[in-house]
Amino acid sequence: MEASNTTPRSLYPPAPPGITINLSREQLTTFGIFLFLGLLPWIPILGWTDIFDSSNNFGRGNLAFVFAYGAAAVGFNLLVGYSGTLGLAVAGLFALGAYGTAVLSAPSDAREALSGYDWPFFLALPVVCIAAAIIGVLVGFPAARLKGFFLAIATLALGELIVTIIRLDDDVWSGLKTNGGTGKQVPQFLIPGLDRILSVYMLSLGALVLMMVAYMVLTNRRLGRTLKAVRDIDIATGPLGISSTYYKLVAFGLSAFAAALAGAMWAQNSSFANPQTFRTRLLVFLLVVLIVGGLGRKWGPLIGAVFFVFLRQKLQDTQKLLFLILGIALILSVLVLPNGIAVLPKQIRDSRWVKDLQRRLESLLDFSP
Amino acid sequence: MSVVEASSPGANPVDAVASLAVDDLHVAFGGNRVLLGVDLQFAPGFNGLIGPNGAGKTTVFNVVSGYVRRSQGAVRLHGKDLLRMSRTRRVKAGIGRTFQAPRLILDATVMENTLLGRHHLFRWGHFAELLLLPQQRREETEARQICMDMLDRFGLADFAHEEAGNLSLGSQKLVEVARALVADPTVVLLDEPAAGLGADDVTVLLRGLREIQAERDLCVIIIEHDLQLVTSLCPKISVLHFGEIISEGSPEHVTSDPAVIEAYLGHGFEAEEGGEIHEVESPLSEHHHIDHVEEEGTLEEVWTEDDGPEKGGSS
Repeated sequence: MEASNTTPRSLYPPAPPGITINLSREQLTTFGIFLFLGLLPWIPILGWTDIFDSSNNFGRGNLAFVFAYGAAAVGFNLLVGYSGTLGLAVAGLFALGAYGTAVLSAPSDAREALSGYDWPFFLALPVVCIAAAIIGVLVGFPAARLKGFFLAIATLALGELIVTIIRLDDDVWSGLKTNGGTGKQVPQFLIPGLDRILSVYMLSLGALVLMMVAYMVLTNRRLGRTLKAVRDIDIATGPLGISSTYYKLVAFGLSAFAAALAGAMWAQNSSFANPQTFRTRLLVFLLVVLIVGGLGRKWGPLIGAVFFVFLRQKLQDTQKLLFLILGIALILSVLVLPNGIAVLPKQIRDSRWVKDLQRRLESLLDFSP
Repeated sequence: MSVVEASSPGANPVDAVASLAVDDLHVAFGGNRVLLGVDLQFAPGFNGLIGPNGAGKTTVFNVVSGYVRRSQGAVRLHGKDLLRMSRTRRVKAGIGRTFQAPRLILDATVMENTLLGRHHLFRWGHFAELLLLPQQRREETEARQICMDMLDRFGLADFAHEEAGNLSLGSQKLVEVARALVADPTVVLLDEPAAGLGADDVTVLLRGLREIQAERDLCVIIIEHDLQLVTSLCPKISVLHFGEIISEGSPEHVTSDPAVIEAYLGHGFEAEEGGEIHEVESPLSEHHHIDHVEEEGTLEEVWTEDDGPEKGGSS
């Protein structure tokens, strides 16, 4: 570490060396994100979806799944990666988002598998997401007193409870209209002028952009570091004036909001929801997304979601193999890349091999006498 | 406590100016009685709190900052009852503290770690943050400026954007002290700030602390095992031994107090005017200050070094 005597000292982290534009690291990242998100809508229009499937339609649908899983994982990352709270109710809240929007926005006079309450989609969506956030916070109240393993079990039970209520349908409350264990058809919301798959794509992308921007802004600033403090120095947060319970609840609420939003997008995409989909399997998927992508890393959730959906698409015909490979990927990730794929560039940059190569190149290019 | 009154008449500073007052504090963990009626008054300036291991020094800090419940007694900050407040309220009231082992977020930058100290001073909430309000941004920049100035005082400004985990233990402890100080406290509790620090770091730490104390008229309370450091820094020192205050007053008074010497060294030693400790039967060479005992480990190791045949002279 060498001292750099730049005056005045920059208050924000400077851009990495090699980049000559006079911007802070944060501004660069924000710029990069907006550039990246701004490019995404062009992918289906230009038809660059081949990597996910040779058929253009499937490819776009899969990308929309990436966005949905990405949005859920972003919230999940705030909870698990940043605040270090292992709340596992995410699958249940995902189901809440899927079923909530489906039931509320369905026509009231349709047959049983598609009947609902006639709400406009864009009213149902925020209502469901906010309701999920409130449920998340309410669950967080008792759960924030638990630690690690016990917290995981308690929240897992809540997730299962939501799915069970959906499956029981009429036995709980006749107005639930979730059509029990047989599954519910999801009314499609079409953006005017777009076909179904493109409409889903744009909706999911919108959800991802919303979550991603909020996530980037919040993690770059005070909330990010405060959540990290709750995770790493929980015991010392009191003398810093930080209430760790409050911030755990904030994380619970945000992750529940994200999960419900992602669930709604997922339902739009798959157009059919079945309680069986939202069992612990979905939770495992999201955990894989998060751990392989990089827990507590900014880009982790998105990278993980791309990885997961890509793998799922390639192993579409052999579901059993998917689980095997996911398991292997998880173990490999923990062994080789414990911080996820998101830190791979940094690891490569910092590796001895690359440093050595850099030095040699520099000495090669050094023409000074 | 009667012991104190008997041994140090008039050594206590005037109680009226006390920033932090601890009255008759009793703490017990189950059957283990840790504090047995401790009375302490801390005025603005440097206050030392010393004592052998297990004397209850950190327990006093823990009661003040809200980690341990007292079984009896009161703690007042500027006359306000502190024990009714939650931990976070105490911070707003003006209590700051550090821990024996530095508690930093290792994968966050030094700057971010320091900014945590100003957390309770932010007026704009996270919603304003999300909406990118310029006021919030300005507040953040101001906070960063304050933190940068504080880091500069402790010689850490060049590492502000390094990850805290890359710093040495000594620097990490300095970051923690800086973090406690940017919170604008009126009373700072420093739990062994110099333990594990190199000589340079100690110099930086003391210079920074002295400057800030003088500027803000802070009340700094230091738990420290390095007696030389405490005696040079603190005009007033309290000695805790098995949950009781056995001596209180100026460094000269405390280091020459027979009760303190006995607590640290056992029977058979006495002090001269200058505060140097001598064994009664066989006076020792000059470098045997009592701080060596604390630094170098158990009593016997140190005292047998030069003694040769007269080993175990205390008998």
